[in-house]
Order: sequence, then C-alpha cells, then structure tokens
Amino acid sequence: MADAASAASRHSLPLARSPIATVSPERVCDGWVVSGCVSTAALTITDLTPLTKVLVRAPVDGEVAAMLGVGHGRAVPARLPTAGSDGDDAGGLDVLVVGSGPGEWTVLTQPGRAGDVIARLDGVCAASPGTVTLVDLTHGRALVRLAGDRAVDVLAKECAVDLSPLRCPDGTALRTVVSGVVADVVRRDREPGHDPLAGPEFVVHVERSSGQYLFDCLCDAGAEFGIEVQGFDGLWGSAGMTAAPPPTVG
Amino acid sequence: MMLLPCPWCGPRDATEFNFLGESRNRPDPGSVTIEQWRDHLYLRANHAGEVTETWYHRAGCRRHLVVVRDLLSNGVRSARSSYGSSVEASEEPQ
Amino acid sequence: MTRRPWRAVRSTTPRGDPGWRLPPQPGEVIDRSRSFTFSWNGRPCSAYEGDTIASALAASGVRVFSRSFKYHRPRGLLTASFHDPGCMVQVGDEPNVRGAHRRAEPGMRVSAQDAWPSLALDVKAANALVRRAIPAGFYYKTVIRPQRLWPAYERVLERFAHGGVVPDSPEYDVSDRFDQRHAHPDVLVAGGGPAGIAAALSASRAGARVMLVEEEADLGGHLRWGGAEQLARLVELRRQVADSDVEVLLDACVLGRYDDNLVSVVHRGLPGIDERLVKARVGTLVVAAGLIERPYVFAGNDVPGVMLSTAVRRLVNVYAVRPGARAVVLTANDEGDAAADDLRRVGVEVVHVEDARSGGDIVRVHGRSRVRGVDLADRRTVACDLVVTATGWTAPVSLLTMAGDRPGYDDAAARFVPGRTSDVVPTGGLVGDGTLDELLAHGAAVGEAAAAGPDHDEREATGAALRPRPHPALFRGRTHGIVDFSEDVSSHDLVAAVDEGYRDVELVKRYTTATMGPAQGKLELVNTVAIVAEATGRSIAQTGTTTWRPPYAPVTLGALAGRPREPRRLSPMHGWHVAHGATPLVAGAWIRPDHYGDPGGEASAVRSSVGIIDVTPIGKLDLHGPDVARLLNLVYVNRWSKLPVGRVRYGVMCAEDGVVLDDGVTGRLGEDHYLMTTTSSGAATVWEWIEGWLQTEHPDWRVHVTPVTTAYASINLAGPRSRDLLSRLVQDIDLAAEAFPYLHVRTGTVAGVEDCVVWRIGFTGELSFEVHVPAGYGLHVWEQLVEQGQDLGVRAFGVEAQRILRLEKGHLIVGQDTDGLTTAEEAALGGLVRVDKQDAVGLPELVVASRQSPRSRLVALVTDDPDLVPAEGGQIVGADGRICGRITSSRLSPTLERSVCLGQLDSALARPGHRVTLRLVDGSTAGAKVAERLAQIDPDGVRLRG
Repeated sequence: MADAASAASRHSLPLARSPIATVSPERVCDGWVVSGCVSTAALTITDLTPLTKVLVRAPVDGEVAAMLGVGHGRAVPARLPTAGSDGDDAGGLDVLVVGSGPGEWTVLTQPGRAGDVIARLDGVCAASPGTVTLVDLTHGRALVRLAGDRAVDVLAKECAVDLSPLRCPDGTALRTVVSGVVADVVRRDREPGHDPLAGPEFVVHVERSSGQYLFDCLCDAGAEFGIEVQGFDGLWGSAGMTAAPPPTVG
Repeated sequence: MMLLPCPWCGPRDATEFNFLGESRNRPDPGSVTIEQWRDHLYLRANHAGEVTETWYHRAGCRRHLVVVRDLLSNGVRSARSSYGSSVEASEEPQ
Repeated sequence: MTRRPWRAVRSTTPRGDPGWRLPPQPGEVIDRSRSFTFSWNGRPCSAYEGDTIASALAASGVRVFSRSFKYHRPRGLLTASFHDPGCMVQVGDEPNVRGAHRRAEPGMRVSAQDAWPSLALDVKAANALVRRAIPAGFYYKTVIRPQRLWPAYERVLERFAHGGVVPDSPEYDVSDRFDQRHAHPDVLVAGGGPAGIAAALSASRAGARVMLVEEEADLGGHLRWGGAEQLARLVELRRQVADSDVEVLLDACVLGRYDDNLVSVVHRGLPGIDERLVKARVGTLVVAAGLIERPYVFAGNDVPGVMLSTAVRRLVNVYAVRPGARAVVLTANDEGDAAADDLRRVGVEVVHVEDARSGGDIVRVHGRSRVRGVDLADRRTVACDLVVTATGWTAPVSLLTMAGDRPGYDDAAARFVPGRTSDVVPTGGLVGDGTLDELLAHGAAVGEAAAAGPDHDEREATGAALRPRPHPALFRGRTHGIVDFSEDVSSHDLVAAVDEGYRDVELVKRYTTATMGPAQGKLELVNTVAIVAEATGRSIAQTGTTTWRPPYAPVTLGALAGRPREPRRLSPMHGWHVAHGATPLVAGAWIRPDHYGDPGGEASAVRSSVGIIDVTPIGKLDLHGPDVARLLNLVYVNRWSKLPVGRVRYGVMCAEDGVVLDDGVTGRLGEDHYLMTTTSSGAATVWEWIEGWLQTEHPDWRVHVTPVTTAYASINLAGPRSRDLLSRLVQDIDLAAEAFPYLHVRTGTVAGVEDCVVWRIGFTGELSFEVHVPAGYGLHVWEQLVEQGQDLGVRAFGVEAQRILRLEKGHLIVGQDTDGLTTAEEAALGGLVRVDKQDAVGLPELVVASRQSPRSRLVALVTDDPDLVPAEGGQIVGADGRICGRITSSRLSPTLERSVCLGQLDSALARPGHRVTLRLVDGSTAGAKVAERLAQIDPDGVRLRG
C-alpha cells in the first residue's frame, strides 16, 4: 500500500484501484494497484478487475453481431485488427468477446486498452446500419476468476444455475444471480496441453460496488476446498496467451 | 420455486424475474377518457386459467417477456421476447 | 436446574440381568473395538462407534428419554428411528436432536428436554392429574381472557412448549455451522432402501446424473435388520452403489418438493458444518420412502417399554441392544412375527404372542415410567416389561402430495396408496408389498424410466407391478390412548373434538393440533383419520386425509438461512470514510457515511467555505441513440426536446397513475449522448422502468440504456469556495461562472484523471460542482480534494448534513417528502408538468391533476418555538382536531439556528402565513405557520448560481 501510494505522489500519475482489497504484496500493473501474491493451490481466486471491459450494444443479428462472431451465451477469443500506429500489437489486440446478452457483448482484454478497443470497434461499427453503442465499463465492473477443478463446486454453493461441464462447457457465457447479486459468468478454460494450470476457469463479474462482497462470498464458499488468492496475472493467466492465435475480427 | 423458460437464457428460477402482471394494451393517452384510463390501471381480469403476462428477466437477458401461464397449474405454455422476436421457448403445462 | 437422579433410571434394570447389550449380531453397525463415553444428564454413558444416542442409552438400561409435551408423561423408545417422538434431546448447544438417529460421539453432552425440573421429578406431570384443565382445543378455550394477562400466559406456555435451549451467548456463532448448495440431478431418489437403491442404479446406468438420499447413516432400509440372505444381498447392493456414479447423501432428509421439482434436502454429518441444505432442481423425483410402522392406540400405549416391531428389530439386529426382558407381542403381520423370532433368538422371554389376525388384541398397559404388565383381549393380565405392536403401515406419501398427487385409501390393505404424477414417481413399499426381488425389479424399472425424463410416458410398461397386500385394519383398540405422541393428543381428545362439532379432519387437526408436532403425521395421521372416521360414522376414504406440506421433517432455521449472505455495496471511498470516523448509514444495500461525528458542523462548513460528499450511490444511466430526447419527453413530466449539448435539466418522473416516481438531473454530453441521474434508491427501478418503455411500447426507438452508477465515483463539492477548490485540480475546463454556468455539464480531466464528467448541480443550495470520476480513481480524486483544500477549510460531510442543507433550501426527497400517493402537484412540482405532449407516462392523470386543485401540498413550516424539531411523520391538525397533514422532514438548522420542516398539508390550508397545530409524540400540541417559500435559505437561488 505504501509503495503504491508513494509511487502515485512521486509521479502524480493517478493509480486506479479495484474495489477488492489487494492481498499483499502490492504491485502496480498498467496503472492499477494489484496483488502480486502467488499461489500454487489447486483452487484459486484472482481479482481481474483491472482488465479492460467494453460494452457493445448493437442489433441482435446485424453486422456488428456477425463481425463479433459470437452470439448471446458464448464467449470466444478474438483478435481486433490493429488501428495502425501501435507497434506492440502488430498482429492486433487479443480480446475475449463475450455474448453477454441479446444484442449485447462485453469485450475483455488487458488493462488500459479501452481507448484502443473503442477506436478499433468504432471503425468497424461506423459503417454498419443501426444504432451501435460502445461504453467503457472498465471502472463499472468488478471481475474475478475462479480457477480449479472445484470451482464448479464453489459456484454451486452460490449460484442456482447448473454450471457443471455438461450444461456449461468451456466458452459458455450467462448472466444470473451469484451470492444474491446479478452477475455475469463466463467459463473460459486455458488451453489444455499448453498450460500446466489448465482446468475449469470461471470469470465472474458484478457491478463494481459489490466487488468486495462477491469476493468475500466466493472465498467463504471456497474455504472448504482450500481456496487461495492468486495475484493479478492478466486475462489469460501467467502462462500467457492461448497457443493458437485466435481468429481476427472483421 | 417456479422455473420460467426464458427464450434467451433457458429455464431459470422465477426469482430472477420481475413479475409485471397481466399484459394489457395501453390506451392512447391522447384520446382515452380518465375513466377508461383508470380501468386500464386498476382492473384485472384475474382469469382462472391461461393468462398472458409480462415478466422482466432482471438477472438474465434483461428482456421483457410475454409469458402464457396457467394460473391453476403454474404451468408455463410459452415465453417470448415482448417485441416480435423469433426467439421463443415453450413448455407444456403440467 | 436440577437434574434427574441417575439412579432413577438405573432402577428399571432388573436385578441380576446380564446387561442390555447383546453379543455380536450379524447386521450390527457398532464397532466394538471403539468405545467411548458421552454424558447423559451429566452422568457418563458408554457407547460404541456406530451407536445412536438412544441405542447407547438403551444398552445402558435407560428407558425414559423425555417427558411428553402436554401431560408430561414419561416417554421411551417407540420407533427407535429418525421419527421417534420420544427421544428428542439437547446435545451441547443444539436443541431438538433426534436421539434415536444422531450418532453418539465421544464427549457429547446430552440432556433430556421438556423435563422441568427433572426427568424423574417432573412437576408438569401433574397435568395428567388435571387433564380436564387441558382439554382438546385448550389453546382456543383456556387462555383467552383477560387480554392483559397474555404476557403471563405466554411465560407459562413457553415453559410447557416443545424444545430445548438455544444458547443466548455471544460465543454462539451459527455462521459457520450451516451451509447450502445447489444441485441438478436428472434423478433424485428419496430413500435408500432396496427399491431406492435399484432405482438409483438403473437410472445411473441409463446415463442420468443421480442423487440418492437416505435419512439413516447407512443404505439398506429394512434389509439392515433382515436375516443372513438379506444382509448378503445388501452387501452386494452397496458394492454396486459404490462402483457407480450415483451421488449418495447419507444422514440426509428430503424436506420438500416445490414447483418444477425443486427438492430441498438437509444433509448432516459433513465435516466442519452441522447442516447443509441442498437445493436440488430435479428432472424426476423418485420417492422410495418405504413404509412407516403405525402405532396402535390403546390405554398406556405411550408407557416406556411399548414399542413397534420395527423398533425391536432395529435395536436387536442393528444396534445389538436387548429391548426388554419379558415381552408380549401383538402381531398382525410378518414383521411382527419376525420381531418375536428376533426376541426369542437373543434370549428375551416372549411370554405371549397375541395374534391380531385371529382377533387378538391388547386392552391396556400397566405401569407409568415402565411397562409392568398388559391386559389382553381375553381379560388375562400378563406381567412383562416390553410390549411390541405390529399393527400395520403408513405410506409416507407426503412428497407425492406436494407434487399434487391425491393418494387413495386401500381398504383391503388398510393404508393409503399413491396416485399418479408425471415428474414425481413412487417405488418400493409406498407402491406395494413384494419380495426383495420384486422390490428391486420395480425400483429398477422406475429408475430407468426416470432417467428417460419426466416426459417419458412408458413408465407403466414396467411389467414389475407392486400391490399392497391385504392387512387387518387396526387403528384403535377398545380403550383410548395416545394418537399423536409429539403433541400428546389422545383418541379421547379427537372424539371430544368431533362431539364439539368438528367433523372435518382438517378442522379436527387444527383444533386438537394432532399431526402438527415434530412427527408431522408420519406416525399418527392415519390413526387420526381412522378415529375421526369412527367418531363421525364415516369411512376412512370418506374422511380423507389432511394435506401433507413441506417440510417432511422439522428443519432448523439455520439450515434454511444458510451462510449469511447480505449483499452490500461500497463506494471507492468507503475505506477513507471508515478511517475518518464515519458513522455508517445503511441505505438499501449501500453503506454510506451518515456523518463524521458532527453533522451540524459539517453543514456549517458547506455554508461558510466548502465541503465534499460522496454521492456515488446516485443512479446514473448512460443514454445513447438518436431517440433519447423522445424517451426523456415520455418518462419525465417536463419538456426535453430542446436541451442543448452541455446543458443539464432537472426532471421529475411520474408513474402511469400520476404519482411521483423519481427525480434527478439529466445532462446532454453529445448529440446522441445523455447522462441521466436518479435517486440512489430509485436507480434500479428507473433503469427497469425505462427498459420497459423501450422494449414493450417503443421497440422502434433507437436508444441504448447502460447503467453506469458504479462506473463513476461521484463527489459533490458544495460551498462558496467549491470553485476555488476544484480549480486547483482541473486544467482543461473553464470553471468561471460565465463559461460554466449553473445547470451545465462538461467533461475533462480532474486531478490527472481523464474522462471525468463535471456538473454544475447541487442539492445543498450552495455553489456546487459534482464530479463523476472513473471509479478506480475515486479515492485518488477524493484524497486530492482533501489535500488541496486544507487551507480552504474543506470538510467531508455525510448524508445527515446533506439532509439538513437540502431542507434549509426546501429541496424535497422523493419517498421522504412524497409517498405512494403523492402527485407532482402535491409535491409542489406542478410547475414543471407539461401536458401539451402527444404522449407521456401518466399523461391522462397529469391532465386531470392540472385542472383541479390537489388534495394536499408540500409546504415549509415554521414552528413558533424555534427549538422545537417535530418528529417526522407527526400529525398536523386543524382547529377541529381533524388531521390535515403531516411533517415529512424536520431538522435543526445550524445556519438559521432554528428548526426547519417540510410537510404535506391540505391544500386549502397551504397558504403562506396560515397557522396550524402540530400534534407531538408526547400528546402535546405546538403552533406553527406555513412559510412563504419552501426554501428558508437563499430562496432566490443567488448562491447556487454564483
């Protein structure tokens, strides 16, 4: 905490904070104060709130829907085309496109890229008929990841929807009630074979002010399975990106 | 607890929805008399049988749904988005 | 409280007896290599692992486990099972533990309930002597008048009511003791007897996800007390279950079946928690609840030592306990015969077997705290210490009736049998009697059909039918005895109720409380129905049953509550508020700072220099699209079509009935882009309200609504120095009055944070700016404001100071100064309403309201006594004493150094200067007059426009 705060005052660059209290040690990642702790537990919970989250609203079956390549209820990795000048993203920006509602998508990617995502989507959307809305919800949602074979059992204590692999395979997206608050749930596993941590992973996000509450509830529910807090490691986990490049959007 | 077959999200607990009552056509506010308006506001058929209702999937797709439900058996015959969407779910009454 | 002397119970052990624990039995579940002690009423009692509390006590010679509910008669083991009504005990801090079901554990502290002052010397047993004082329906007859004595009645009744003791100490923390989880089996089988096991196995083999729920600690049902062949078959069945994918919940009880096959199960015996409620959404519910043996009604049928045949078979075969020394057996079926055989086999002297199939009967039992003898039908009296009855079965059809089934009464079999429902199906003893192979075949067929899903209608084609065998109809003998052992209702009480005119069994139930105790009808319902039928001269079928409702068995409130889950919402600055001594205010799910110790001082700081308040909870909706103005025109009562970019307008929403719903400001950020604010409590309502209009009435309008309430931390800077303060943090917005006037909105960078929205709005009546900061930076901006405003005397203020300030300014709060009937006119907002619209929410009501004077009107009131702060909600009365209004808000104003109030007043009286009378809480009255304007400070709005 002291490190992060002094960093802020030295450079007078504001640091963003998650609504979920960080577990020490703290570090700064892309302008966000995050937890740097490392866990090797079989079941972990990670505060991924710093991720960029852009909401897209467009007609259910229009061109934007076709461009995003996924409908309500599914989540797929995708690569947004490069706007041009960015050197880092020669191949484009890797995102997770979540079909979070009818005519509603949530685009998730690494922190600090809301402007890029909106600029890139704007370009594609401008040409399409119908009203398209892009809203940066990075600061409006608290987002956590549950990872481990028992993640399903943790959520079964907090959520009435059947999230077993049979009904909720990899790539499922849904909105329901978790711990008594409305939550978006996305099952997004790491690629098996490329990541030793591969296993069921759920991303759960709620409106920001309930973030700490949700985190506490999931930790409480996971206690019997030995849940531990994992530090911030980005959308795709510490092992990096998915092995195969995802399809390019557009 | 009742399940509602949401055309977008599949069957969900009724507590995920807001119940907005029998579906009724809103009279034209420009031509309606105040008596007709108040009938519209306060009078319900409360039919003992199948009734067309509006439900809002607050904790899911956030769509207003037209639900045909049998008030005697709680069986839901069909549920669809409130405006002409092709998406529809149905379930035989119990 | 003194405890029952230990020796009183030991005295029931016949002198010279070799002991009550039998030598090893083939089916016993106790582990004789592991023994331990627990305490019973403070005295040690030894047990083996696998013993229930009751079996260990019975093996130690204990015969009296509790006192009955009403007459406080001594009670012993009746069923020796989960449902035994006679041995509810207190275990440590846990009341109402089923002693014949709960496994004994080392060091457990067990004590008797319902005994006062002690089990042996129970003064309440005097009730039995004054039976007339507690007649049928005594609740309704005896304790009615005078009403002022009710508290005294309650204290006495509490003493006599069921139940143990829930500790009232701070150490008693239930939060970790209860848990819940959801499950989604395709098939849930309720009952782990042979038919249930077969159903679960075959459903699992057919590919279904199966949950098998058994209330006892082991699978097997009646096989557990069977002979060698049955035990061998049980071993094989258990092996098949262990090898399958069936999820087995032992020590778990299905409580209820609700709409769409939501099935609740309470699961015990888990590590670390007492109870877990499983909420299972089930495809097909298979009910394999078996049969419950029915007690027989005769005089003395509740004396300790009178037992059901299944109780004897459990005690002997499962727990290796000798139930008595000299037994008389009344049998009408094979199970009774087998119980007699069991007793003989283990060396109990069976002095007489009375065969009810050939007219045998028991007339009365002698003894009070133990059986001493029994009168038989042929007038002989036989000395004994154990009376066993086997007089028939009750089919526990409750889960079926919860699914809408109406069981029918089978005269020949003298029991109820299930009808038919689609997604809840019975198997096993519930359906009929059969050999083990027949039960297994039926279960397997039902399980396979269940796996095919509730719509599968081939279920009848199982070819494995079970039918109830004929059985003599035995309910009550020739004397009166106890029918409901839980509630202490006798057959005499039931007949008396019928004599008093209660002929309907549902009415008799409510009048006598029969079937309303912990046994919930499973032991006593059919006897109740039979006795009412007899008393009314009708058949059992004509009499019908009472309705079985959830729960199947009593459940703790802790299990239903689960883990504490109370959603709470926190602003990004919450930690700062806590660190600076804020008193929390719970507002819906939000936890807000009410004040930081001195609300009056906080309010004064705003009036004199500058204050900052965290207003993050105010609702914010991002509105985007070409038709936003049409939407605003529809949902607000005022006009919105010509709001320029960069401007802000206050708006009021009414519902279709013209009642004020919410208010707030909306600013236009871009050509098609608006930001709407709502009240904190109305945020969700307004969002859904707007979605409703867009989706149902105007799906053609191109508007997207996105809730962004918590995407922004909202901070209001209020006070004459607020511009000075904000200017220190803002470079790219010209804050000068001319460049950024009141009711305007700008976007820019605040304290280095981009994409902030800055509004010239305020609730306090002072010059004020509201800053909406991307929420992750909320704490940063807040801390910068505090730091940069030190020399200006900046002070954080809470909700209470804001309430004072807005009241001084005469700003209303929807829901505080309005209620569920208040129209815009009555809220003094009529000036905003525009009825020359094509459409607006509630337009016909707005038109009517604009043409007639409102019933009441919001006014500011000035009390004659400046120090008087009348209570909110207090009445305003006219000269004739008639109520003509109410105080809606009142506070002491630190600025005016007097009270300020708003109130709703009959419109005829709502004239400036009119005098009214306030009726105060203590009954006294005080004078007040109607003020000129709602605002008591800066009524012309000079300050806020500064």
